[in-house]
Amino acid sequence: MTVDAVRDIFRRVLEPDASSVGPPGVGAPGIGADSDFFALGGDSLLATRVLSAVARECGVELTFDDLLRAPTPAGLAGTIARTIASVPR
Amino acid sequence: MFRDVAVSLDPTVSPDPTVLDGFLAAADAHPGRTAIADDGRSLSYAALRTRVRAVADRLGPGPGVVAVPAIHTPDTVAGLLGVWLAGGAYCPVDPAFPAARRQAMLTAAGCQIRLDPNLGGHGGAELAYILFTSGSTGEPKPVLTPQAAIGAAVRSVRELFGLTPADRVLQFASLSWDTCFEEILPTLTSGACLVFHPDAYAGSFPRLLRMLDRERVTVLNLPTAFWHELVGYLRESGQPLPASLRLVIVGGEPVRPARLADWHALPTGGRPRLLNTYGCTETTLITHAAELTAAGSGGSPAAGQVPIGRPLPHVVERLSAEGELLIGGPSLAAGYRGLPAATAARFVTVDSARFFRTGDRVRRLPDGSLVPAGRIDQELKVRGIRVDPAEVEAHIAAHPAVGAVAVTGVRVADHTVLAAYVIAAGPHTDPAGLPASIVDHLRGRVPAHLVPSRIRVVERLAYTATGKLDRRRIEETLA
Repeated sequence: MTVDAVRDIFRRVLEPDASSVGPPGVGAPGIGADSDFFALGGDSLLATRVLSAVARECGVELTFDDLLRAPTPAGLAGTIARTIASVPR
Repeated sequence: MFRDVAVSLDPTVSPDPTVLDGFLAAADAHPGRTAIADDGRSLSYAALRTRVRAVADRLGPGPGVVAVPAIHTPDTVAGLLGVWLAGGAYCPVDPAFPAARRQAMLTAAGCQIRLDPNLGGHGGAELAYILFTSGSTGEPKPVLTPQAAIGAAVRSVRELFGLTPADRVLQFASLSWDTCFEEILPTLTSGACLVFHPDAYAGSFPRLLRMLDRERVTVLNLPTAFWHELVGYLRESGQPLPASLRLVIVGGEPVRPARLADWHALPTGGRPRLLNTYGCTETTLITHAAELTAAGSGGSPAAGQVPIGRPLPHVVERLSAEGELLIGGPSLAAGYRGLPAATAARFVTVDSARFFRTGDRVRRLPDGSLVPAGRIDQELKVRGIRVDPAEVEAHIAAHPAVGAVAVTGVRVADHTVLAAYVIAAGPHTDPAGLPASIVDHLRGRVPAHLVPSRIRVVERLAYTATGKLDRRRIEETLA
């Protein structure tokens, strides 16, 4: 899974609802390859969406701790690549 | 469903056996059964009782309030029951909280075995535990729960869940919140098995579902926000629920009608049984429950009404003229330790009976069950945890570069996160660096759920005529 693909997942998960009742102007700021999921407003609940999307899109089942250790698109893409490499196909 | 207040609080009625008595009776009846399964290891009722006695022996009689690290291990359960056997009160402290917060909790909880006599009402009642809720002053509010309260609540919950020695109940909730007692205590007083497993907390639904299947879990108690995510995963992945699962309980915030419809549309249909529950730390575990059947459960999910249902047998329910839900009966806490004003504001006397003001507005459906209808104050639910925005504001306002602050909830991806709007203290503050500096400041003082996910530096904030922050008008100031 590429860094861009992980970044897309972050973007989908962190995008506020269109029906948001909160104030405007609090949308997720720009998400780069080195943006920290938790600094962007991600929490443990939103993390389950990232982990489910990763599992669905590339079949790798990561945990909350994996995301805590590598909370950026670049970092998580690296974790995914290493997990795939370590599993005999 | 109005019970006679005078009867339910009559002191001549012999008290329920305590939860500890219930555990010891279960250990006598089922010494060889598994009390706790922990990732492949198992602890029998007899072995757990031995550990509980060892904890009590080590503490000695009458240890007062005992702080126990709140971590997901069988030792924590042995610690809880051991503190009770010694005659003490249990106070869980999450080691992940900042040191300053843990110290504030220990100080606020104090070290005494009896309830404060000046709290009134339940003087002399044995204290079971002290848990904390969000307080507007920035300090956590210690809730004093008597043994009689947890005894009454556990008895109702055990009957509601229909627990038998054949059940295997997952331990999921954080050991800092009272939901964990809903998992632990009805289970260990029924001869059933409590299941600990690291995959419960891994945040991965595939792992969770495989573990539930492997461990043959029969009862699953989830925060509503987490259950919403699980339903979304089940629908998208097409994965089945484990066949062993007979009961799912949710609670903590209103159930979303769309997610409930998704649940009933799963291939498993009406199985397992789904219970929506409601309760506050101050009224002990849960006070209301609704069976959410596919055929409709009194409410009209399509109209945005998922009921919290009817009061449990031990609960006295009352609605104020403003629609606020008041709870009475034996499961009320004794009050907030050391905070007589806060106690008097929330624990009130109506028709000579004691009630807790929940702050939750409700509506009664024609069938008598209740549906949530918002708050009477500013309190928020973040991942199922009660947050008073004023508490977060108090901590942010203590940052030297902050002139004023307003905290509110915003919806991100279907759930509530905290957002803070701050005005810099002076023209010399760097607005770009302020949010990160505030996060650092908060991380040293408060638990993670009180750190806003979004922080924005603004020019001005709205105030009401009385000079209070007007959170409802924040939008206007940002427009």
